[in-house]
Amino acid sequence: MTTTLAGGRAARRQTMRRIRPRRSPAVPLLLAVWAGAAAVLWLWWHNTPSIADNAGRVLNAGRITGLLAGYLMALVVLQMARVPALERRVGSDRVARWHAMSGRYTLSLVLAHVFLIMWGYALQAGKTLGDIVQQTVDSVNQLPDMGKAAIGTGLFVVIGLSSIGAVRRRLPYDTWYHVHLLTYAAVFLTFWHQITTGNDFAVEPMAKTFWYVLYGVVTALVLWYRVIVPVRLNLRHRMRVEAVIEESPGIVSVLISGRKLHRMGAEAGQFFRWRFLAPGMRFSSHPYSLSAAPRPGMLRITVKAIGDHSARLRELEPGTRVWAEGPYGALTAQRRSRGKVLLVAGGVGITPMRALFETLPGAAGDITLLYRANTTQDLALWDELAAIAEERGARLMYAVNSPEGERPDISAENLRRKMPDIDRHDVFMCGPPGFAQAVYEALRGAGVPARRIHHESFEM
Amino acid sequence: MRKSHPIRRVMLATAATVSGVVLLLSLKPASDPASASAAAPPASAAAQESPQGGSGGGAPASGQAGTVTGDAAQTPYGAVRVRLTVSGGKITKAEAVEAPKGPTSDEKTALAVPRLNQAVLATQNADIDSVSGATYTSTGYKKSLQSALDQVKKGSGGGSSGAAQARTVTGSTEQTPYGAVQVRITLSGKKITKAEAVQAPKGPTSDEKTALAVPRLNRAAVAAGSAEIDSVSGATYTSTGYKKSLQSALDQAGG
Repeated sequence: MTTTLAGGRAARRQTMRRIRPRRSPAVPLLLAVWAGAAAVLWLWWHNTPSIADNAGRVLNAGRITGLLAGYLMALVVLQMARVPALERRVGSDRVARWHAMSGRYTLSLVLAHVFLIMWGYALQAGKTLGDIVQQTVDSVNQLPDMGKAAIGTGLFVVIGLSSIGAVRRRLPYDTWYHVHLLTYAAVFLTFWHQITTGNDFAVEPMAKTFWYVLYGVVTALVLWYRVIVPVRLNLRHRMRVEAVIEESPGIVSVLISGRKLHRMGAEAGQFFRWRFLAPGMRFSSHPYSLSAAPRPGMLRITVKAIGDHSARLRELEPGTRVWAEGPYGALTAQRRSRGKVLLVAGGVGITPMRALFETLPGAAGDITLLYRANTTQDLALWDELAAIAEERGARLMYAVNSPEGERPDISAENLRRKMPDIDRHDVFMCGPPGFAQAVYEALRGAGVPARRIHHESFEM
Repeated sequence: MRKSHPIRRVMLATAATVSGVVLLLSLKPASDPASASAAAPPASAAAQESPQGGSGGGAPASGQAGTVTGDAAQTPYGAVRVRLTVSGGKITKAEAVEAPKGPTSDEKTALAVPRLNQAVLATQNADIDSVSGATYTSTGYKKSLQSALDQVKKGSGGGSSGAAQARTVTGSTEQTPYGAVQVRITLSGKKITKAEAVQAPKGPTSDEKTALAVPRLNRAAVAAGSAEIDSVSGATYTSTGYKKSLQSALDQAGG
C-alpha cells in the first residue's frame, strides 16, 4: 500500500509509447452480419414477384424464416470456430454470449419455419391447420432430403432443450458439451433440404453458389481452428504436468512444462482450454487462465475447486500429458488506453490479474491491484503479489470481510477516497458475476468511462 | 457491462422479427406487375385474332414485326395462351394473354409466367425448362407456345406442310397412387412431333416429381416415336401411368 513515484516523467513517457489500444472488431463484424441478413432478405424479395392469398402469405413467411435460419445457422457455428479474431480481439466471453443468443434465436426461426411451411402446404392443398401433422409426415416422406432435415431439426430441439438454464445446471458439463457437439451433425443434415427444396436456390444459381461458399468457409474455419491448429500446437509443444501446488484452501496451481512455450504467443490475461489426459478427465476440456506470464519452459494455471473437474486437478500426477487449445481471451494489455491501470480481482479471478500485474508496462505508481476475497486466508498468491508490488513500485490493496462477516465497502465514494485519480485509470476486472456487476457500477459512479472498464465474464 | 434484461430482449426480438416479416409480406403486390399483360387479356389480342379465324395464316411475313397468338392450352387450373411478337424471324416478345387465376394459382402464375416469357426470348423455341412448383402452368404455356410457333412456321413456309396435317390425340387417363396421368401427342403424319402430359400428379408432395419426370418423358416419347420409353427413376408411378396413356393415344392414332 505504498505509493512511490520513483520513475518520474521520463519513465511515464516511455510507457505510453508502448500503449497502442487496439479497437475490438465487434462493430464491423456486426455490420457485416446485418449486411448478410439484408442480402438474404433481398434474395427472397427478388425471387418473389407477388403474393396472392393466405397460403402464399404463410408459405412466404416460412421461406423468410427458413432463409434467415439457414444464414444464421452458419454464423452460430462460425462463432464457435475459435477464430483468433473473435477469441482474442472481440473476447471469448462476448462471442460465447453472442453464440448463446443467436443460437436461441436461430432455433426459434427453425421451428417457426417448419410450422409455417407445413401450414402453407396444407392451405395450398385445400386443407386446414388441423391437417398440419399429416402434411408434415407426407412432406418428410416424399420431398427430397426432408428425412435428413427432420432428424436434424429433432437434434436441434434436443440441443436447445439441453441448453435451457434450468436443464443445463442439472446436467454434468461433459454431457451438455457432447450433446452440443451434435450441432455439427444437425447442421449437416438440415443443409441439403435447403438446396434441393428451397425455392430461392432452385431458381437462382447465384444463391446456391453463395450458400455453398458460406457453409464451405465455415466448415473450413472449423476444421482449421478446432482441429488442425490444436493438433499442431500440441505436437509442437508437448506439454505435461510438472507439479501441483496448494495455494490457499481450495485453490491449487498446476505447473505445466513443455517445449518452447513462449512461442505459443500467449499473453498475460489470456487462457487456454485444458484437457488432462488422466483417467476420468480425458474427455472434457476446461478454460483456465494463466496465473503467470508464460516462460519458455513453464506455464502456470491457478484454479479454485468448484466443480467436478477442478476438484480433481489436485490429484493430477506429475508427468500427465496435457492437451491445450489456445491462447484465447481479449483481456490483455492491448485493451489499455491510459498510462494508469487499476486491476480488480474477485476471489480466483486473481489469476489473469496476477499475470497482468506482473507484466503490464508501467512506471512506479502506475499499476494498482485491488484484491477482494472472503478472508485473508483466501488471498491466494498473496506472497507473490507482494513481491511483485515491492519490485515494481506498484500498489497492492485488498478487501476482505470483517471478522464478523461484514462485507467490505466497495462504493464509488470509497474508491475515490482511496484513489483520487481513479477516473484517469484503465480498469481490468475479473471475478464472479455479482461482484463484477457491483464493482462496475461503483467504478462508473466514481467517474470511470465504460469504454475503459475491461472485464471478462463467462456467465451467459 | 450493461444490465441484461432477458425477457425484454426476447420480446424485442420476437416483435422485431414478426413485424419485419409482416412488413415484407405486405409490401409485396398481390399480383405481379411483370405479368400484368398476362393477367388481363387485352382487347388488341382478341381483335387481332378474330379476323384470322383463330389459327393459321396469321403469321407475319418475315422481316416484318407482328404478333401470333397460340391455341389456348388447358390446365387443371385454367387455360394458358401465349402471344409472341416476331420481328425478322426472331421472337422479340413473349407474353401470356391467359394464365391460371384464382386463390391458389395466382402465386404460381406470378412466379412462372415472367420466367417462361424470358426463357422463350433466350431459346427462341418451345424447348424451355418448366418452372418447378408451377408444372401445369409451364406445361400449358409450352403447349400454347408450340402452337404459336407452328403458326409462325406455317406462315413463313408458305403452307408446304399442308400434306402432313398436324393433329392431336389425347390418351386415356391413368390412375397412380398420387393422381391421374394423361398424355396428349401431336402427330404430323405418323410421326410424334410433340408429347405432353395434360394431367399429372399434383400437390405439394408430387409437384417436384412431376416437374422432374414429365419433361423427360415428353422428350423420350418424341424421340422414340412409340410407348417404349424408359421410366424416370424416382417417379415410377408417374412414368408407368404416362406410358399407359401414351400407348392408348398411339392406339387411337392408329399407329
